[in-house]
Amino acid sequence: MHHVLLDRWSQGASPIHRRDARAKIVALLVFLVMLATTPADAVPVLVTYAALLASAILIAGLPLGSVLLRAMVVLPFSLTFALISCLAGEPLRALALVEKSYLSTVGVLLLAGTTSLPLLLGGLERLGTPRLLVLVAQFLYRYLFVLSEQAQHMRLAASCREGGVKARRKFRFRAATGALAMLFARSYNRAEGIHRAMQARGFSGRFSLLHPQRFGALDAAFLLFVSVFLVVVRVA
Amino acid sequence: MTPLIEVRDLHFQYEDGTKALEGIDFTLLPGETVALLGANGSGKTTFVLQLNGVLRGEGSITVCGLPLTKDSRALIRSKIGMVFQDSDEQLFMPTVLDDVTFGLLNQGMPEEEATAKAKLVLAQAGLAHVWNKAPYHLSAGEKRRVALAGVLVMEPEILVLDEPTTFLDPPAERDLLQLLRDLPQAKLIVTHNVRLAASLASRAVFFEKGKLVASGSVDEIARRFEWTYSDLPAADLRYSAQRRF
Repeated sequence: MHHVLLDRWSQGASPIHRRDARAKIVALLVFLVMLATTPADAVPVLVTYAALLASAILIAGLPLGSVLLRAMVVLPFSLTFALISCLAGEPLRALALVEKSYLSTVGVLLLAGTTSLPLLLGGLERLGTPRLLVLVAQFLYRYLFVLSEQAQHMRLAASCREGGVKARRKFRFRAATGALAMLFARSYNRAEGIHRAMQARGFSGRFSLLHPQRFGALDAAFLLFVSVFLVVVRVA
Repeated sequence: MTPLIEVRDLHFQYEDGTKALEGIDFTLLPGETVALLGANGSGKTTFVLQLNGVLRGEGSITVCGLPLTKDSRALIRSKIGMVFQDSDEQLFMPTVLDDVTFGLLNQGMPEEEATAKAKLVLAQAGLAHVWNKAPYHLSAGEKRRVALAGVLVMEPEILVLDEPTTFLDPPAERDLLQLLRDLPQAKLIVTHNVRLAASLASRAVFFEKGKLVASGSVDEIARRFEWTYSDLPAADLRYSAQRRF
């Protein structure tokens, strides 16, 4: 499970893990803005950004190869658009699409791999993200595992009752749609159950979360250093 | 002795028209542990969800001397701790500590106090080492005990447990039983497990098609409604299975 792996990575204790989530989120935003505004032919800038990301991944103690490999998940999408741009006679733009989307994904993975979800969501909330969105993200993440497990069980149960190859071909689509509908119905029931459990413990529509993080001088220094470095590289 | 829970002539019907409860009368005394037995769909879970106002039917419910109304609901929910059948539904917060403090923070307790209290209860439940874990990293037994800790931390006067041993392996079931036996609260236990009911409950009531049809000792109820796992010889069981399928 990708989210379980990210969860494990985020439990580290490196200097980057210890930074306040807000500092890392803002640093990532600065990085994304600088990257988006970098011309596609500014190869030294892009190489420096890639080197910065690689250094941060190594300092954080994350497996570099694994992070770079997992960031490739974005490539099928960006390559599709890159191909369209290429066919439209804009090869430079196609290259930029691939480079920037890949580096952005590495940056996001670095943030998710060095910040546990509760801290990340707490940081987003404190930076002004609407609480409803934060809650939706929290529930989505929490139950993603439960739902994927249910889906795997259903798939296993279906495959146990599959007949010969012909029958499999004929009914596979129908079985998949049925399973999807069943998963939706179960999710709906589960949502009702969760709501009841929340009500039973006095939930009145407003979450009170624990916020153990404090934005300190080191976090400010980290944010300042990363932001200045990114801007200088971009402008120089 | 003033009852902790007093239910009179309770009726409830789901939106689709299914009559789930019909004329239920029930009393729970202080210190008492009552097992709620009955077939699937007989109304046991629907009944316990009425007690803290999560579902609302017609009839009167009094908890710790407080009539259940919209105004008293919040207070009553702090007096009844409910542990649900599926722990995954109950453990919805990102970490164990977040989840155990959920009820306390809803009651308005300051963060530091809630955190300290939650850690103490987790330690008492033998879960001190999991406070920072995400719920999906826990075993079924740990999840059940965290769910119980999230309820116990609110110091309820009554505990309601819906099928507390579902999904648990024998050692986890044994640990949970020991934990439950040591708790001083009055308890309502919804279960199919007669062995569990007999080891914890002083009384049992039996639900049938939305009606509470009998009350008595666990043995008496189990015998009267043949509510036991079969002790037939294997040959009879084979015959019974062939006849059914």
